[in-house]
Amino acid sequence: MSSEQIFVGLEIGTTKICVVVAEGRSEDQISILGVGETPSRGIRKGEIVDMATATECVREAILDAEEKTNVEIGNVWVAITGSHLRSLNNRGIHVLPQPGQIGQEDLDLVQTNAKEIAIPPQNIFLHTILQSYHLDGNRNVIDPLESEGMQLEADFHIVHGIKTRIHNTLRCVEALKLEIEDVVLGSLASAQVVVTQHQKDLGVLVIDIGGGTTDYLVYQDGAVRHSGVLALGGDHITNDISVGLKLPIARAEALKLQEGSATDPADSPGGVITLRNDPGFLGCEIDRRSLETIIHCRVREIFELVRDDLARGGGELLGVLGAGVVITGGCAKLRGIAGVASEVLGQTVRVTTARNVGGALQTFENPQYSTAIGLTKYARLVTRDLRPVGFLDRIAQGFGGIFGRRGR
Amino acid sequence: MSAAAARRLIVGVGNAGVAVLDLLAMEEPGLKGLLAVNNDAESLASTVVRDRIAVPAGDPADGFLAADDEFGKAFAGAASVVLCGGLGGETSSFLIPALAILAKSSGITVVACVGLPFSFEGRRRTELAETALEKLHAVCDAVAVIGNERLSGGTPSTAAVGEAFSIADRTLLACTKALHGMISTSGPVKITRADLKQALGGEGSRALFGTGTASGANRLHEALENALSCPLLIQQGKTTPGSALVGVPLVLLLLQGPSDLSFAEVQTVVGEIERMAGDRCQVKTGVLASLPSGAPLTLSIMASVGGAASATKVSAPTEPSKASVIHSVTEDVGEKPSPVRKTAQDEVPSKRPRSSPKQTQGTLDLDTYQRGRFDKSEPTIVAGEDLDVPTFLRKGIKLSPPRRS
Repeated sequence: MSSEQIFVGLEIGTTKICVVVAEGRSEDQISILGVGETPSRGIRKGEIVDMATATECVREAILDAEEKTNVEIGNVWVAITGSHLRSLNNRGIHVLPQPGQIGQEDLDLVQTNAKEIAIPPQNIFLHTILQSYHLDGNRNVIDPLESEGMQLEADFHIVHGIKTRIHNTLRCVEALKLEIEDVVLGSLASAQVVVTQHQKDLGVLVIDIGGGTTDYLVYQDGAVRHSGVLALGGDHITNDISVGLKLPIARAEALKLQEGSATDPADSPGGVITLRNDPGFLGCEIDRRSLETIIHCRVREIFELVRDDLARGGGELLGVLGAGVVITGGCAKLRGIAGVASEVLGQTVRVTTARNVGGALQTFENPQYSTAIGLTKYARLVTRDLRPVGFLDRIAQGFGGIFGRRGR
Repeated sequence: MSAAAARRLIVGVGNAGVAVLDLLAMEEPGLKGLLAVNNDAESLASTVVRDRIAVPAGDPADGFLAADDEFGKAFAGAASVVLCGGLGGETSSFLIPALAILAKSSGITVVACVGLPFSFEGRRRTELAETALEKLHAVCDAVAVIGNERLSGGTPSTAAVGEAFSIADRTLLACTKALHGMISTSGPVKITRADLKQALGGEGSRALFGTGTASGANRLHEALENALSCPLLIQQGKTTPGSALVGVPLVLLLLQGPSDLSFAEVQTVVGEIERMAGDRCQVKTGVLASLPSGAPLTLSIMASVGGAASATKVSAPTEPSKASVIHSVTEDVGEKPSPVRKTAQDEVPSKRPRSSPKQTQGTLDLDTYQRGRFDKSEPTIVAGEDLDVPTFLRKGIKLSPPRRS
């Protein structure tokens, strides 16, 4: 196995830092060799607020992964999230001076033209993801390369974010002398392993609810149509429990994991949950309905915000989801979450984990690893027949993105 | 003089003052109560401000006396006057203090917003400016002093000289607008004359000022970020936005925006400024939320440094502000003292000597929501709602409290 086929995905999450080491297999498959993990510190809502502490946590996770897999990690693919990320769809147009064969430079030019849009001066492009080509009015051409034509158009989904905030995540990795292969939108990474190409073609909404953020992505006709990030996640549920039931954060977190349920409290049998005495904590009895009310309100609100954003995104996105909604991320394990999502979004909802992945079974059966595993799959896909471009080169190219050239 | 009818005047004095009024009139075409004063006929002839008083050229004192009646008429019936201009020139250095004295003697609230000359303008102008400033501090209710030299920290060294003056004018404009807004605030969340005087300090003080405007879902953060990035709010030698506010005892905050401006947004921005300035900082807030929905939100932050009097002295307010009154009430848990009584108590000398005046935090008279672990983190605001506050609290859902076993 050559070292070029080893891919390392790094997710610097609000709850945990996760490093997945995987090796590329034939036909775009990956096999997980091992996972390094450490609880996060210095990270809030998916963004670094304490650089030194966060860097130390990343170091621990990398060392853990190296120890478990016996792979020396040098290059990583990094997932990025945060409420500063914005997305939009735009069409690029390139007219050839005279009819002729479409070359690679024409495809590059149409992508460059699509990025001729006003984004805030402090922002940079993160992704320019191809949706479809149109050649001389012929819509949805799959690959116009070497076709005859004159007017080439292409639709792209563009993701941009605040440069300094993206750089903070990267600085944290670079401080460990690791080379960054690429930065990838968290939900885009997750989607690589939690939905199939068939689901993408039918139309699917992927919602990744993590500790600090909820990242979502809509596929329609096999291409990314919409993406978004909400700075709300499992941490908010824990905080709500802590505030509402007057419990320390650690106790609230444990209660959420053990007894938490997002189901409507009206459908709950009710009852009492007894919390035992602990050093520094006086035991108490909690009304189960109160706990469920707190969680239900928050979870429902998150899905309502996603629904409202999709409605604002236009194009009746909720109406094109032939394959329904897929929920993943650490919070997907919350009982009753699919029911609430289904009620709010009016779709078939499934909680899912990474699929079509080989190797360490217990890793991909847990939805909290979807993003980090997805990074390795993404890496496998984009490097299948292209030599990866280093991150610094991509900065020079204005984050044009090899993914833009590869399409989905 | 139609300006006499306006309750609140903004008077631009000298070339810089008139230039500021021109910018203001172009930004807000319907704004009333603008008065241009200059001895430069050319400047007055080209201004877009309708109400003008031409002071005869020559000795400024003679000129002022000659136009005395006109000034008297212009100020008649006014509740407040904001005087703006650049100090250093012969005319403005005389006229601004003279107008302040005239207005004050008529019982009008007088606030001055003045720029100090750049060092390259020569020592003579600096001396004139300093003398004028002393007079202004003695007369005015509050004086905001913009050090152009300090402002040049934000001007690229390659900038043309004209550009440096233009930046100074724009800063003076923003500061004048903010001061005008602050003294125009009314209702439960307002800034008083006493707050202004206390925040802007006495002799030797220099204003820290920043303003930012934004609209859209993330308007609060963008406006705050823009305001904190203004050069006067960045400590010299540093690049961190808002770093100049660290340790400032009192900050004035003015929020001007649409009627859907929410309490959560006000609370968030106050929290952010407190976090930046330190635990001992008081934030006095004024809100003017009368614009139609969808209008941009403008946030102005004002404080001062360097004033020997301002840094430690907390002057007794001439009219107690709502914020400080509320604080007085909340301090005395268990009884309901009248705000007036509390203020009166403050004026009675205490038998116990006070080692130092206690800096207290003014609070708004509304329930404080609990943000829990997100108390110190950047809030998640969507459609004016702080989503870090538990959903059940925002929806007003009652829970059964835990029972101790």
